[in-house]
Amino acid sequence: MTDMTASALTPPRASTRGLSPAARLWRETWGQREFRFGLILILTLIAASILVPLVTGIDPAKMQIKDKYLPPVFLPGGTWAHILGTDHLGRDLFVRSLIGLQYALGISFTTVILMFLFGSMVGLVSGYFGKVVDALLMRLTDAQLSIPLIILAITLLTVSRPTVPLIIFVLAVSGWPVYARVARGVTLSERNKEYVRAAQILGASHWRIILTMIAPNILPPIAFVAVLDLARMMIFEAILGFMSIGVQPPTPTFGNIIADGRKYLINAWWIATMPGGFLLLALLSINLMGASLERARNKLFSGQI
Amino acid sequence: MNAPATSSSPARSERETILAVEDLGIELVRGAERRAILDGVSFAVPERGLIGIIGESGSGKTVLGRALTGWVPEPLRQTRGSVAVAGRKLSQLTNEELRQLRGRTVGYIGSDPGTSFDPTLPIGVQIAQKLRAVVPHTGWAAAKKRVLDLLDQVRIPSAARRFDEYPYQFSGGMLQRAAIVDALVAQPKILICDNITQPLDVTIAAQIVRLLRGLERDLATAIVFFTSSVPVAKELIDDLIILDKGRIIERGPKDRVIARPAEAHTRRLIDSSPRIWGKDVDVPRNTTAAALPSDVLLSVEDVVKTYRVPDRTRFSGTLEVKAVRGVTLDIRAGENVGLVGESGCGKSTLSRLLSWIETPDRGHIRFQGKDMAGLRGKELLAMRRKFQLLLQDPYNCLPPHLSVAKTIRTSLDIHGVKRAEARERARAVMHEVGLKDDDAERLPIGMSAGQRQRVNIARALVLEPTLLILDETLSSLDPAEQSRLIDLFERLQAKHGLTYLVISHDLALVRKVCSRVAVMYLGKIVENAGNARIFDNPGNPYTRALLSAVPVLDKGPFNPAECLVDGEPPSPINVPKGCSFATRCPKAADLCRSSEPLFSTSEQNRNGVACHFPYH
Amino acid sequence: MGFVLRFLLRRLAQGVVIMLIVSMAIFTILRWDDSKKDTPARLILGPMATQDAIDRKTEELGFNDPIPTQYLAYIIKVFEGDLGTSYIRAESGMSLGATQDDIQTQRASVLRLMLGALPMTLQLAAVALLIAMLIAVPIGVAAGLNQGHWPDRLAVYLSSVFVSLPNFWLGIVLAFLLTAQLGWLPSIGYRGFTYTILPATVIAIEMAPLFIRSLSVSIAAAVRQNFIALAHVRGIPSHTIFLRNVLRNIAVPNLNLFGVQIGALVGGVLIVEYIFDYPGFGLLTVQAVSQRDYPVIQGISIISSAIFVIANILVDLVSAKIDPRVEL
Repeated sequence: MTDMTASALTPPRASTRGLSPAARLWRETWGQREFRFGLILILTLIAASILVPLVTGIDPAKMQIKDKYLPPVFLPGGTWAHILGTDHLGRDLFVRSLIGLQYALGISFTTVILMFLFGSMVGLVSGYFGKVVDALLMRLTDAQLSIPLIILAITLLTVSRPTVPLIIFVLAVSGWPVYARVARGVTLSERNKEYVRAAQILGASHWRIILTMIAPNILPPIAFVAVLDLARMMIFEAILGFMSIGVQPPTPTFGNIIADGRKYLINAWWIATMPGGFLLLALLSINLMGASLERARNKLFSGQI
Repeated sequence: MNAPATSSSPARSERETILAVEDLGIELVRGAERRAILDGVSFAVPERGLIGIIGESGSGKTVLGRALTGWVPEPLRQTRGSVAVAGRKLSQLTNEELRQLRGRTVGYIGSDPGTSFDPTLPIGVQIAQKLRAVVPHTGWAAAKKRVLDLLDQVRIPSAARRFDEYPYQFSGGMLQRAAIVDALVAQPKILICDNITQPLDVTIAAQIVRLLRGLERDLATAIVFFTSSVPVAKELIDDLIILDKGRIIERGPKDRVIARPAEAHTRRLIDSSPRIWGKDVDVPRNTTAAALPSDVLLSVEDVVKTYRVPDRTRFSGTLEVKAVRGVTLDIRAGENVGLVGESGCGKSTLSRLLSWIETPDRGHIRFQGKDMAGLRGKELLAMRRKFQLLLQDPYNCLPPHLSVAKTIRTSLDIHGVKRAEARERARAVMHEVGLKDDDAERLPIGMSAGQRQRVNIARALVLEPTLLILDETLSSLDPAEQSRLIDLFERLQAKHGLTYLVISHDLALVRKVCSRVAVMYLGKIVENAGNARIFDNPGNPYTRALLSAVPVLDKGPFNPAECLVDGEPPSPINVPKGCSFATRCPKAADLCRSSEPLFSTSEQNRNGVACHFPYH
Repeated sequence: MGFVLRFLLRRLAQGVVIMLIVSMAIFTILRWDDSKKDTPARLILGPMATQDAIDRKTEELGFNDPIPTQYLAYIIKVFEGDLGTSYIRAESGMSLGATQDDIQTQRASVLRLMLGALPMTLQLAAVALLIAMLIAVPIGVAAGLNQGHWPDRLAVYLSSVFVSLPNFWLGIVLAFLLTAQLGWLPSIGYRGFTYTILPATVIAIEMAPLFIRSLSVSIAAAVRQNFIALAHVRGIPSHTIFLRNVLRNIAVPNLNLFGVQIGALVGGVLIVEYIFDYPGFGLLTVQAVSQRDYPVIQGISIISSAIFVIANILVDLVSAKIDPRVEL
C-alpha cells in the first residue's frame, strides 16, 4: 500500500517514457560517475593485461639477476622500464601483475558463472516446489554454508594437485549456497504472488513460470551479488595462491607474487605491496560498478526512473 | 473533555475554528519537474464540526489529509498557503511543537489498517506507548486502563486479551477499530480519517461508520472525513467538499450537493456512486434472456476444499481450515453470475478451484461438460484458454519486470502462437481495452490501478476465452474508474459473447451486471437466485444483512437497525455447529444452533436458499 | 511452548544431518586417492619405518577397508565423544618426529587440541566483531536514515574500498607498517592481548561492508514503512521511533545475515590467523592439512559446522522472540 501511494504520487519522468526497462537501467547506471570510472579502469587494466606483454615482449618469468630489487618508478632508483619495480629474481612486477590479473579474472569469472547458474537453479527449484525437494536441497546448502571455504579448499587442493579447473571447481563449490539461499528466498515470496497464479491460470507450465516469470525477478538481486562475488573470488584465488595451493609457479598470480615478496618485505617492500595495490585497483573498479548498477536497479524497481 | 456534546453545546456559528486551511498549494518537485498536487485549497472546520471531503483517487485527497497533520514528505513541497490547527500554523512550528500538536490535538487514521501498526509489538502496547509519549506523566497503569476502556468502547471483543495481541492476529476491521482508538486515545480536538472504510468489507465498513457516528456524539472532536464514496460520506457527514485535481470545486450541505450538484464533475461522481434500488437503477439487460434455458457452461458439483495448517499451540498436529464446504453452482452460457460474501467466506478459494490451479478434495468441476479432473497436458492447456480468471490485486498480478506488451504476448506464447502474430494481436487487444501504443513499453510500477487492470484484462482477453471469472477485479478501483471498466466489460461481452462469473463483495456492482447471484458464507452457498429476487426479496437473513450494509444514495428496503449484523464471521477452523450463520443471525432459534439447514431448491433446481426460516 | 520444543528437536535433527554431510564429505576427500592410503602410517611411524611395519600400521588404522566402513567406524566414535588422536602432535602441542608404536599414548587427542585453540579463536572473533560493529553501526545507520545524501555515499564508497582490500595483503601491509616499521602494535604470534588487535582489525575490515550494507538497506526499507511514517504523525518522538520500532524491525533480517555469514566469518578468521601466525583454529587447520593430519582436519570441520548450526538455531529463536510472525 505504501508502495502504491508512493508510485501514485511520483509517476516516472516523462522523458524516460517509451524506453525499455533495460535501456532505462543502463541510462541510469551510465549516468553515475563511479560506474564510468570503474568501467574505464577495469577495461584499461584488461586491455593492458593483454597488450603490454605482447607489445613490450617482456617475459614475466624471465629473470635478470642484475636488475633485482629495482624499486617502482616513483621511488629513487626506479626506471620506466619497470614501472612497479622488480622482484628478488629481477622479474618485472608490472608484467607479472598483469598476467596475474588475467588468471584472476578468468578464474573468478568462470567460477561466478558456474555458481550463479548452479546456486540459483537449486534455489529456484527448492523454493518453487517446496516440501521434500526443498528440505533436501536446503540441508545440502546448509552443510555447504557451514563449512568455511578455506577448510574445504585447502583440504581438496592439498590432497590433489591444484590445477586451474580444480581451483575453479573448489571456489564454485564453496560459493553456490549463498546464491541458492537468495534465490530460494525470493522464489518463496514470488511464488505466492498473484502474477504467478495468473500465469498458472493462463496455462503456463511450472518450468515456464520458473524460468520466464520468477527467474527474471530473482536474477537481478543475485546478479548484483555476482558482480561483488567476482571481486571476492579474485581475492580467494589470490589467497589460494598465497597459501601455495593456487595456480602453481612459474605462472605468476597475485597470491604467489605476494607470498614470494613477503620474504623480502624488509629489503624490498614493494614486491609484496605493489601487486596487491594493483589487485586492489582492479577490485575497486569492479565493486564500484556493482554498487552503481545496484543503485540504478533500485531506482528502476521503485518507479523513480 | 469526555462530557457528551449535547444540545447545550453552542450553535455552529459560535464555535471556534479548530482547523483552518488557507490557499494551500502543494507541488511535486523533482529535478526540473514541477507538478501541482493541491492548488489553492481553503476551508475551515469548527470545533466538533464534521466535514466530508470527497474525491477520486488522484484528486489529492491523501496528500491533503496528510498535510493537515503537517506531513508533506519528499518529493512534495508546500509552496504557498497555510494549515493552522487551533490557531497555530503548522509550517511555523518547531519539530518538537509539531510533534506535541500531532499527538494531542490531531488524530490521524490512514486507509491501510494492515500497515498502520508495527508488526513486532502488541497493539495495546503501541497505543499505550503513544499516549505516554504525547501526554507526559501518564503512568503505565493509567495508560493501559484508558486504552482498555477505549478498546471496549469501539467494541473490540475481550479487549483485555486483545491488548497483548499482535497486529497479524487482528482482522482488517479490528485493526481499523484499533487505529481509531489510537487516534482518539489522547482526546484530540480533530480527527482526520483518510478513506478508512475503503479496504473493508461492506458489513465491517458499515459497523465502522456506525461506530464513528456514535463516537462523534460521545467525544468532543471535529472530524475531517476523506472518502471516494459519496454514500459513505452521506451516512456520516453534514457538509461536503468536492475535491478534483487538487482544487475544491464545490462545497455545501450534503442534501443540497447530492440533490442539486452545481458542477458537472460532482454530478458524475454522484452518478457513478453505487445504486441498488430505486427507479433509475439499471439492472442487466439479459435478465430475461437468461431465463431461456441455455447450455450449462460451467458446472460445479459439491466441491470441497480443506487446508491443513500446523497448530502452534501444540507439540504436533494440524488444524483444518474448511475453506470450501460443499459448493454446487451452474453457470450457463451468456449469463452473468455473481458470487458475493465477506472476506474469508471462501470466495477466493473457490475461484482458485474454478480456475483449476488447485484441485478440489471432493466433488466435480465440469467445463462444457468435460470433467476438469480428467484432462491432462495439451487437452488441459487447450481447455484453460477457454476460461480465464482476472485477479483481485492489480498491484501484484502483473509480473513486475515485464513491460505491458511483453506481458500480453506471454499469454499467446504459452499457447504457442507465433511471435509476429502475437505482436499484432497484442497490439489489437491493447487498443480494445483502452491502452495506448506508448504504454507498451511501460513497467507496471508506474501505472495506475485502472491501467494495470486493463493490462490484466488484455492479457486474458487475448486468448479469446468463453468464460471470464472476475475475482474482485474491480474492488480496488474508485467508482469512476470502476464504471468505465464495467462499460468495457459490457462492450466486450456484446462483441465476443463472453460469460462472466463476478466474484465480489461489492453488491452494487453485482446488482448492475449480474443476472444471477449466489451468496456465500463460511464456505457454503447460502442463497442462489435471480437478480430481482436476491435484491428485492432475499430468503436468507444473511443476504438481508449484507444488503442493508451497502452504502447507497437511494433508500433500501431493509432497515439497517433490524438487519445489520454485529461482529465478524467465525473462523473457518472452528465452524459453528448447526447453521454457520446462527452465531450472528438476528433471527436465530434453537433449531439453527443444533442442525444445519439444507439447501432447498426450487424453480428448475436453480433458485435456492439454505435457511431454516427462509423469507422470515 | 510446545512448538518451541518441536522446533528445537527438528533443528537439532537437521543440524546432525548437516554435520553428517560435512564430515562425510571431508572424510571421503581425504581418502579419495587410494594410492596414498599409507600416508598416515608413514607419518606416524616416521621415515625410518620398514614397508612391512607401514603396511601393518595401515591395516591397523583401517585404511584398507572401504571408505563407508571406515566412515561408519569413525562416526560411531564421534557420537561417543571421541574425535580421535592426532597423527603427529604430542600432548604438549609439539610435533613429534619419528616415533614408535609404544609412545602413541603421548599423541594429543583432537578434542584437546581444538579446545586449546578455541579460546584464542573466540577471542579473536569477538574482538573482530566488536571492531566491525564500531565501524559498521554508525555508518550503516547514518546511511540508512539519509538515503541519497552524503552519509549514504560515504557508506557506499567506504564499503567498496573495504571489500576491495584483499585480507591477506592488508594483513601483510599492516604488520609491515605498524609492527615492523613503526612498532606501534605487536603482531605475528601471540604473547598477550595486544597481539589480537591487528588481526582482529583485518577481519573487521573484511566483515564491516556486509554489516554496513545490510544495516543501511534494512533501515532504509524500514523507515519507508507506513507504520513508521504514521508513528511520526501519531506524535511519537523520532528517537523513540528509531529505538523502539526501526531497530526491532531490522533485527530479524540482520540476524539472519549474521547467521548465514558465520561460516564466512570463521573462514576469514582462519586465513588471518595463518598470516599472523596466531595460535588458534586457523593455524591448527593449516598445519593439520599440510601435515596430512586427518583426524584433526575432520574434527575441525565437524566443529565449524556445529558452530554454524548452533548459531543459526539461536538466530531463529531470537528472531521469533523479536518478531511474532517469524515461524519456527
